[in-house]
Amino acid sequence: MSGNTPSSSGGVNAIINDERYRSIFYQVVVFGLFIWAVLSLIENTQINMATRKMAVGFDFLKNTAGFAVAWTPLDYKPSDSYLMVYWVGIINTLILAGISIVLATFLGFIVGILRLSKNWLVAQIASWYVEVLRNTPLLLQIIFWYLGAFANLPRPKQSIEILGFESLVLNNRGLYIPKPQPEDLFWLTAVALVVAVFIAIALNKRAARKQQQTGKYISTLVPTLLIVFGLPSVAFILTGMPLEWELPALKGFNYRGGGFVLPAMLAVMVALVVYHSAYAAEMVRAGILSVSKGQTEAASSLGLKQSFVMRLVIIPQAMRAIVPPMISLWMNVVKNSSLAIAIGFPDLVSVFMQTSLNQSGHAVEIVALVMAFYMTVSLTISACLNVYNKKIQLTER
Amino acid sequence: MTEITEQNEVSEKFVPKPSLPPPPNTTGAIGWLRYNLFDGFLSSCLTVLSLIAIGFMCVNFYEWAFAKAVLEAANRQECRITPTEFGTCWAGVKFWFTRFIYGRYTDTEIWRVNSAAIILILWMIPVWLPRVTAKLNIALSGVLIFPFLAGYMFLGGDRNWFMEIMVSVALGCFLTAIIHSLLCLFTGAGISKWIIQLTGFSNRSERLHKFPVIVFAVIIFLLSLFLISDVTFKEMPNNLWGGLFLTLVISGIGIASALPAGILLALGRRSKMTVIRVLCVAFIELFRSVPLITILFMATTMFPLFLPEGFHINKLASAIVAVCLFAAAYMAEVVRGGLQAIPKGQYEAAEAVGLTYWQSMGFIVMPQALKYMIPNIVSNFMGLFKDTTLVSIIGLYDLLGMINAVSQDPSWIGLHHEPLFTAAVIFFIGCFAMSKYSQYLERNLGAGNGR
Repeated sequence: MSGNTPSSSGGVNAIINDERYRSIFYQVVVFGLFIWAVLSLIENTQINMATRKMAVGFDFLKNTAGFAVAWTPLDYKPSDSYLMVYWVGIINTLILAGISIVLATFLGFIVGILRLSKNWLVAQIASWYVEVLRNTPLLLQIIFWYLGAFANLPRPKQSIEILGFESLVLNNRGLYIPKPQPEDLFWLTAVALVVAVFIAIALNKRAARKQQQTGKYISTLVPTLLIVFGLPSVAFILTGMPLEWELPALKGFNYRGGGFVLPAMLAVMVALVVYHSAYAAEMVRAGILSVSKGQTEAASSLGLKQSFVMRLVIIPQAMRAIVPPMISLWMNVVKNSSLAIAIGFPDLVSVFMQTSLNQSGHAVEIVALVMAFYMTVSLTISACLNVYNKKIQLTER
Repeated sequence: MTEITEQNEVSEKFVPKPSLPPPPNTTGAIGWLRYNLFDGFLSSCLTVLSLIAIGFMCVNFYEWAFAKAVLEAANRQECRITPTEFGTCWAGVKFWFTRFIYGRYTDTEIWRVNSAAIILILWMIPVWLPRVTAKLNIALSGVLIFPFLAGYMFLGGDRNWFMEIMVSVALGCFLTAIIHSLLCLFTGAGISKWIIQLTGFSNRSERLHKFPVIVFAVIIFLLSLFLISDVTFKEMPNNLWGGLFLTLVISGIGIASALPAGILLALGRRSKMTVIRVLCVAFIELFRSVPLITILFMATTMFPLFLPEGFHINKLASAIVAVCLFAAAYMAEVVRGGLQAIPKGQYEAAEAVGLTYWQSMGFIVMPQALKYMIPNIVSNFMGLFKDTTLVSIIGLYDLLGMINAVSQDPSWIGLHHEPLFTAAVIFFIGCFAMSKYSQYLERNLGAGNGR
């Protein structure tokens, strides 16, 4: 019987009964299985690729891609390499996701606050907005926006002029906007803007320090705005307005010049913004509700103005509950922007994982590259989240 | 003294006047309107704006859905209400509705899909009936064994010995569950009690009670084996599956596999064993950080390369595997959240009474953690149900895939909006019901936590 006691080491029984040995035993077994699985997968893949005469390696990235991309801000030609296509895809995905993130967050805050409105009708509308959008698939919404709104736009000759501007038009080729063309001295305006931002930050810090020392509150809103907008404007005028706008104009059957955005991109963007704003709204609502009512009452009883109660007491505490889920929502926007493929917007998955993969057949490498991009974005965002969490933890009791 | 008594008498005689009614415009409907809709200038403006917006939407929707509706048409050209304008072609939705639900499944075989659905519903109803005992067994058998029965009913064709056994086991379990539930409902005693009673084993020692039950199980199994022995269904290869049916098959398998896989991954992630923890973390982070569509593309392009020579995997199977991997990674994080909500004292107490790891997890930690997780689990299920639509991008004919295919049918070309609206309504009903049910569960299960 002595062999069954945990204290005895060695022997077969120790593997079963001694926790330390058992743990090591399990880990060795799991690790062995994992290695075996990976090795057999690699072997199978090699055999399969050999029988299908598929080449391995990243050399194909230098080959000519040979297909056009419908929309990209980069200077891309069909004669460029697959590597260039990869960058085009990344840039398109990041632009689409970036704009959608900003707008979705903004709209989400508005809807979230409207959901808490004392006005019954407004609160009801906001809550149905959230329910309808969250309970239908995003893919369906993207297709719906595209086919319902952006695919039925008029031809260039009958373009819709937005707000009556001749050079801001919407037609079935896309949205045409004036494109800024900075001239020689424009960098001075940019420098002025950077300087102005630094001055404004310093000003705000000084005001905050003064308030800490003397308790006197100095409003910095007006001076901040004056400096941030005033200084660059002055620089801009003094250097002789070195900015030209390249206006789109109707030439033949289509608009030429200026910047343009595909209808598909508008549809995906609207769908992404609207869909994620519903989630953002719920986060904002939950965040504000998570601040206990006692905080509002305590702040009011100290004699703070109503606007200060919101700005200095409620929102900073609500932010702590809002920001972490909001950041993972941003991650979701980046991931969900890949659904643009359904209506033909050339994002990373569309140009690289579909077109390039079908053309070159390098499945393993392309899948790895695409996943590497998304994982990089994800890890960057979660690193930011960790930094933020560390920062707000310091201010906790 | 007299003065005091006099005063008392006076105060006793004091009868207060009845209090005035509240001002008429603060109570009733008017008061409600004033308080909720016209409370100040800003609020009134918002109300008026909202009313205008609602009115505008209602008028437009009425015009689209009803005023321009075309209910009878043989093709899209007949849906014109004027020579240049198309009406809202509900006739198209009516014409294709069976296809939207069942895909290209042969009409004469659709009853198989329906009866599998009915079997699942009948199997699961007892779980919600308070008088039925052994709910966990019923639910588990439904989730684990029903897929074999359903799989055969959907696919049909010849059965090999494994499917023969599994299908009869599933049928036996189903029959047992139904008999058991009916007995519970009408007599208050479960099937095993009845068997023991009827065979006269109730007087014998409790150790022997399992024998008649085992005999009964074997009889039921043999009976089902006999029942299905002559029944073979026509083969329906899975490229004919489609529509809402396919959406439900994929998301159903994803949901059923996500919870157990997610629990294992979450436990692995919190394990003290480094190798297991690292592997689980890597798996979870990999699948959570990439979009589902890339996993689906990976599945269709790379899974065929992973398999040994001579094995083939069809598109549906790779999509299902991809969805399962994806769902498991997300569920793992939900479960981890629930596990973290359990105070450390619970783990220590379980260890202190000498429970093993699996016992303490199964009996102490998980039941409590599951309660915390329910809202997140359900929203995860909803997400999966919605995300299943992505399989249409890799060319499977799920609900959205069917709608896409219909819009390219020569005689119905351009029929998009009405089917999409129908699909949106279907998804909305499904997801909305799920979210309301989760709120109900949250309230009921959380009852014990209230103070």
